[in-house]
Amino acid sequence: MNPSSSDPATDALIDEIRDRVAERRRSGFYPEGLEEELDSHFQRIVTHRRAVDAERLRDSLQELDARSRFSRRRIPTESKVAGGAVAHKAVGLVTARQTSGVLEQVQGFADGVRATLRLIADALDSPYEHLHSDLLAQLDAVWERLAIWERGPVDSAAAVGDLRRRVEALEAAEQNRRFSPTWSADAFEARFRGTGDDLKERYRDLAERVAGYAPVLDVGCGRGEFIELLAGYGAAARGVEIDPALAEDGRRRGLDVATGDGVRHLAAQPDGSLGAVVLLQVAEHLMPQQVIDLVATALEKVREGGLLLIETVNPQSLYTFAHAFYLDPTHTNPIHPAYLEFVVRQSGWPQVAIEWRSPPAAHELLEAEPEDSAVAAANIDRLNRLLFGPQDYALVAFK
Amino acid sequence: MAIHQVLVSASRGDAVTGFALEIRALLRPLVGSEIFARHIDIGLSAEVYALNRYEREVPPGDVLIYHASIGDPDVSAFLQGRRERLVVVYHNISPAESFAPYEPEFAARLEAGRQELVRLRDRAELTLAVSEFNAADLAAIGFTNVKVSPLIIDPSSLRGEPADDDARRHLDAHVRGPLALYVGQLLPHKRPELLVEALHAVVTYLIPEAHLVLLGPKRLPEFAAAVQRQIVELGLGTAWITGAVTRAELRAYYERADVFVTASDHEGFCVPLIEAMSFDVPVLARGTSAIPETLGGAGLVLDPKDGPLVMGEAWATIVTDAGVRRRLVDGGRRRLAEFDPDAARRQLLENLGEVM
Repeated sequence: MNPSSSDPATDALIDEIRDRVAERRRSGFYPEGLEEELDSHFQRIVTHRRAVDAERLRDSLQELDARSRFSRRRIPTESKVAGGAVAHKAVGLVTARQTSGVLEQVQGFADGVRATLRLIADALDSPYEHLHSDLLAQLDAVWERLAIWERGPVDSAAAVGDLRRRVEALEAAEQNRRFSPTWSADAFEARFRGTGDDLKERYRDLAERVAGYAPVLDVGCGRGEFIELLAGYGAAARGVEIDPALAEDGRRRGLDVATGDGVRHLAAQPDGSLGAVVLLQVAEHLMPQQVIDLVATALEKVREGGLLLIETVNPQSLYTFAHAFYLDPTHTNPIHPAYLEFVVRQSGWPQVAIEWRSPPAAHELLEAEPEDSAVAAANIDRLNRLLFGPQDYALVAFK
Repeated sequence: MAIHQVLVSASRGDAVTGFALEIRALLRPLVGSEIFARHIDIGLSAEVYALNRYEREVPPGDVLIYHASIGDPDVSAFLQGRRERLVVVYHNISPAESFAPYEPEFAARLEAGRQELVRLRDRAELTLAVSEFNAADLAAIGFTNVKVSPLIIDPSSLRGEPADDDARRHLDAHVRGPLALYVGQLLPHKRPELLVEALHAVVTYLIPEAHLVLLGPKRLPEFAAAVQRQIVELGLGTAWITGAVTRAELRAYYERADVFVTASDHEGFCVPLIEAMSFDVPVLARGTSAIPETLGGAGLVLDPKDGPLVMGEAWATIVTDAGVRRRLVDGGRRRLAEFDPDAARRQLLENLGEVM
């Protein structure tokens, strides 16, 4: 076997990889100086690990020790002048007391200086006690990482990959929430909701009351029957509907209907520009947060004295659950009237009232026989209230 | 006749000790043969004699085989004082300069090992090198009668080991992306910091979920701490330093690995490359010392001048391009087939025949 033999295909692959790296360097995919930066980063880590060299300091301290024994006798007395030495010695003797006094003070000072220097040398010897060099190293590291961030590409593969994953997860979650039946809204309405005329009959009383609050925005207006009713009373009204087919149907009949999300559409209106905001059998389709957002937004959008009308299924009536409520699979969130009232008041609507609507037909109710005891009659009455309470309620709030 | 062997230290799992045990097994049917070492791991005390028992408890042999891999004054003095015929088996001595900043004493022992080797040059009747690279190393310091005697490698030996369940579970739970594995001591001349730099490039620009495991004893704690700090400062959550592991754990890591990576500057031979190939793990390495010789044309061998970006791109290519991967795995299998433990044994006996 020949140890230097290598596969030509492998050699070609390595060349290809080198070319790719060169190309990516040129295009800025790899930031300039990246390899040098990585190399100097590791070098910095390795060199910072070397301890402070306090040996020279120790040596010169020792030298200082040797020189710091002061004595009068070390003051030279030699002289080149004849008799000079004798004279020096004589002066030395005469001033001995003063000289010794000065030397004592100098000695005391020198001892103090040496003790201080020794403390400094000790501190340098054990850097972990004062952490100086370690702190510097950490500061360097922080600066360097900051520099890498600042110079790094904002659209790095890692960041983009991470964002893409998050978006995909959100999209998947949204996909799961979406309701897309194979039938048309028309087919469903025709089977379960009754005709447009039925609806108009049902909401005539509300239309009469709302007509004085033009312009009216009907959120989730469906085919626009309520807008038609209002028009009958001469009130300007328009609607917004999320189902494009229903919205189109309304437009074909000459009504002012936008397609889109009700809360967003409402938010786009100028503040105080509306007389009333109306939701009829819509709130039970919304997510709890959407209800809160809508109520708060409506307060901004209606003028002083304006009106918010929310009519929805009454979950206090067990009858509704046996009949209307679960006929529509998009009825996901029945709203308790007490909670809705709370939400509306919390949003700042000053006047709020609940009205009960659509009681079940009288023949549906349990009947008490005349011979029944008072207790049995009272029980039947309680059952009737629990089982056959009004199927809907309307929350009416004034600004 | 008796042929005894002398090591500086004997420990389980060590390539030098393994080779000495193989030689003893080969010699014993023919001549008396024992192993002596200056330092002996507890687990080997039944197999290996302490060096000071030579001649006191075991009669001296006719030939001494000395395994050179590091210096030791006692072993050196012992060899200088003996008159037996001498065979030197050279396992390579790691470059002292890479240890000097961290462990000057150890660096001095490596340097001494080199000088002791030079002193044995004229006494050695026969010198065996475990690779062509090592033979060239010996020639450079004046050895003349050098023969290459490959290590006795059984590529399937690690495959006979059961894989550690805990290690497997740990890898399953924590490794999502492709796993690059380095096996070897964490030492400066093995250049693990280049692998960490390459991982930085892979994770930041190519494959965010790529992993790197540096597996092997932390021979120099201070150097291991520096690499750990490099990993932390670069913010690489997918790089791990495992420290020493058992054979069973090692197997679990090889089984999970998508690529074997090494940036080592100096290998006398490189057993982990063979192990990686035996688990069909493609190898990416820098073409230094005995690495090209060990790979024998298999693996992706970069030029030592290629930086961490080229290494990172090559790494990413191997783990994402099935065609490249297939080719490297096939190359590894072809290379493994060339390792024939029996042929290596015959070669060794033939070489030793000169002193028998």
